[in-house]
Amino acid sequence: MRLIIDQQPAANDSWNYLASENGVTPDFSALSEDSDLLVDWCCWQQCRDQLLSRSGRIGVKINGAVEVQALASDLDKLALIAVDFPSFADGRGFSQARLLKDSYGFSGELRAVGDVTWDRLRFMHRCGFNAYEIADERYSEKMLAAFDEITVRLQGSSDDSRPIYRQ
Amino acid sequence: MYLYNEHEQQLIEERVEQYRDQTRRYLAGEIPEEEFRILRLHNGLYIQRHAPMLRIGVNYGLLSSDQLRALSAVSRKYDKNYAHITTRQNVQFNWPALEQVPDILADLSKVQMHAIQTSGSCIRSVTSDHLAGVVADEVEDPRPWSEIIRQWAALHPEFSYLPRKFKLAVSASSEDRAATQVHDIGVHVIRNDQGEVGFEILVGGGLGRTPVIGKQIRPFLQQQDLLSYLEAILRIYNLHGRRDNKYKARIKILVNAMGIDKFRELVEEEWQRIRESDLKLTDTEISRVKGFFQPPAYQRFAGEDAGYLAKLDADRDFAIWVERNTFKHKIPGYQAVTIALKALMKAPGDISDVQMDAVAGLADQYSFGEVRSTHEQNLVLANVKQADLYSLWNALTELELARPVVGTLNDMIVCPGLDFCSLANAETLGVAEQIQQRFDDLDYLYDLGDMKLKMSGCINACAHHHVGHIGILGVDKNGESYYQFTLGGSAAEDASLGKVLGRSIPKAEVAETLAVILSVFVELRQEGERFIDTVRRVGNGPFKERVYAPNH
Repeated sequence: MRLIIDQQPAANDSWNYLASENGVTPDFSALSEDSDLLVDWCCWQQCRDQLLSRSGRIGVKINGAVEVQALASDLDKLALIAVDFPSFADGRGFSQARLLKDSYGFSGELRAVGDVTWDRLRFMHRCGFNAYEIADERYSEKMLAAFDEITVRLQGSSDDSRPIYRQ
Repeated sequence: MYLYNEHEQQLIEERVEQYRDQTRRYLAGEIPEEEFRILRLHNGLYIQRHAPMLRIGVNYGLLSSDQLRALSAVSRKYDKNYAHITTRQNVQFNWPALEQVPDILADLSKVQMHAIQTSGSCIRSVTSDHLAGVVADEVEDPRPWSEIIRQWAALHPEFSYLPRKFKLAVSASSEDRAATQVHDIGVHVIRNDQGEVGFEILVGGGLGRTPVIGKQIRPFLQQQDLLSYLEAILRIYNLHGRRDNKYKARIKILVNAMGIDKFRELVEEEWQRIRESDLKLTDTEISRVKGFFQPPAYQRFAGEDAGYLAKLDADRDFAIWVERNTFKHKIPGYQAVTIALKALMKAPGDISDVQMDAVAGLADQYSFGEVRSTHEQNLVLANVKQADLYSLWNALTELELARPVVGTLNDMIVCPGLDFCSLANAETLGVAEQIQQRFDDLDYLYDLGDMKLKMSGCINACAHHHVGHIGILGVDKNGESYYQFTLGGSAAEDASLGKVLGRSIPKAEVAETLAVILSVFVELRQEGERFIDTVRRVGNGPFKERVYAPNH
């Protein structure tokens, strides 16, 4: 996996991702207390208090079925929200990002994961994402051009709420 | 008409270059087939039975004569010297090469045309009344609102990967010529009891496999709130619309599953959150856009043109054409003219490069350089002086564009069918020919009166057969084309879905079946009754009985 943060290649990913399996939450006790820990939605729901009692930073990964409102009251305790795009056709994550960012005021790292490639980077950026996890075989330095392919914004979004006539 | 400023122009040029690079990367094997499919659809490019098909956006059906000339030039340079007008007022080319599409789009960008969101699971180009600004009974011109919606929707970062396509139509007249009740969102410009102009919003209409009439989600919306309300609807749909089955993915399915009241509750809750934001339209912006749709410089006439009235008396063919193919204008001394793209033995909606150039010239000469496309696959010159009608009629007759069949059985809406479309199950163009040949007696067509015949080559219903007074749906039976009839549909202000007459019939019997249906109508109709009103009064029964009679 390669990572782009703030439109630049990021050398290292500090986050350790632990996923639940068949509803069984992962054992994160082996990780050092102060490490950055990203867990899935199932784990977050079952172990929220335990996770928040760690000294390290916590992130949650959500899929398209999660109602982000359920995270609203915990956003200030989260350093990362990873939004999963299961396929190139699935666009729920765009709305989830806008709700997290614009309606609920999430200010941490909003990371697009899953089917994340060149041709949706600009739209993701406009919807509030600031980090992108790219599969190795789809990564190239050239893809950073995606952010500037189109420079005109007719409608407002998370990057700039103003439509063109207010800009 | 609306003209792009330098920033808006820059956007469409950047979009062309973005797509050029996407095409290059696809051909170089850097973009997988399935991803490129979605990217090309966002730019109007389908891969069809014989070749790609490119759909160019004509927003709310408005074209300048220069744009029409540019389309003609594209058809000559890259295609087979013709174009096709679609039921969403757009223009299609049937034979472009995939590699050349970026060049076509670059050519068209010079006249401010593009293919942004003319297909794919995104907000499609917005349609409107082709007689906007011309009819007396409209609340106000609906096109500025269509344009405001278009700008909000174009390359919308959040709503470009929706569960399924999303179509909006705007109408401001008591007569609905934009089929607003069968759109994902229908916007009616209305005046409330306090005299304020705003919108009634319908949601969840649509055709396809599951035809549904749209439901009212809001009886009155203030002008300034239009975009925040649309954004709230789209957000709820994007988050909750089904993505597991493309046949259940349109908003109509979501609204029906959830119930309109629950859906409204979610939308209104989201709307309250975003209502007081930069989405709120300003009066300055509304006025700015309206400024582009000011009436042209009409001459003042006291009443009907005397020379025109004399010609009406002297020339019966002219009078018939005026009666069928022109429409009353709100300004005295003017008329709106429909250019019928329903020539005998030609695919409905097709127009040649020569005809496009000629119509552009006629638009310059007679109608302020403006042409409109209609959802019934015709063109309109909306602002013609009565004094010019006779010369215009002569010119259109020369061009074979004056067939006086508008609103009759021969003014069919027909999708391209099996001859072109890879989705189609059955042929349509040959059947349209069969019908035109059988019913070539204009007096009989006129006697039948207003008639909407719509024929689709598959269940996707691109020709809106469910809302035809007579709908014909092509189906495949063991490799043969068969046709199922529906009666009693309407896409107008009295919208209704047609009911299936009975089992489908073979291709050779379509015109004959139609003849039987029409003869039953002629027997049963009351004085001055339209076909659809007779069907509504007597039901399908009498028609069914005769069509499926054993001796027939």
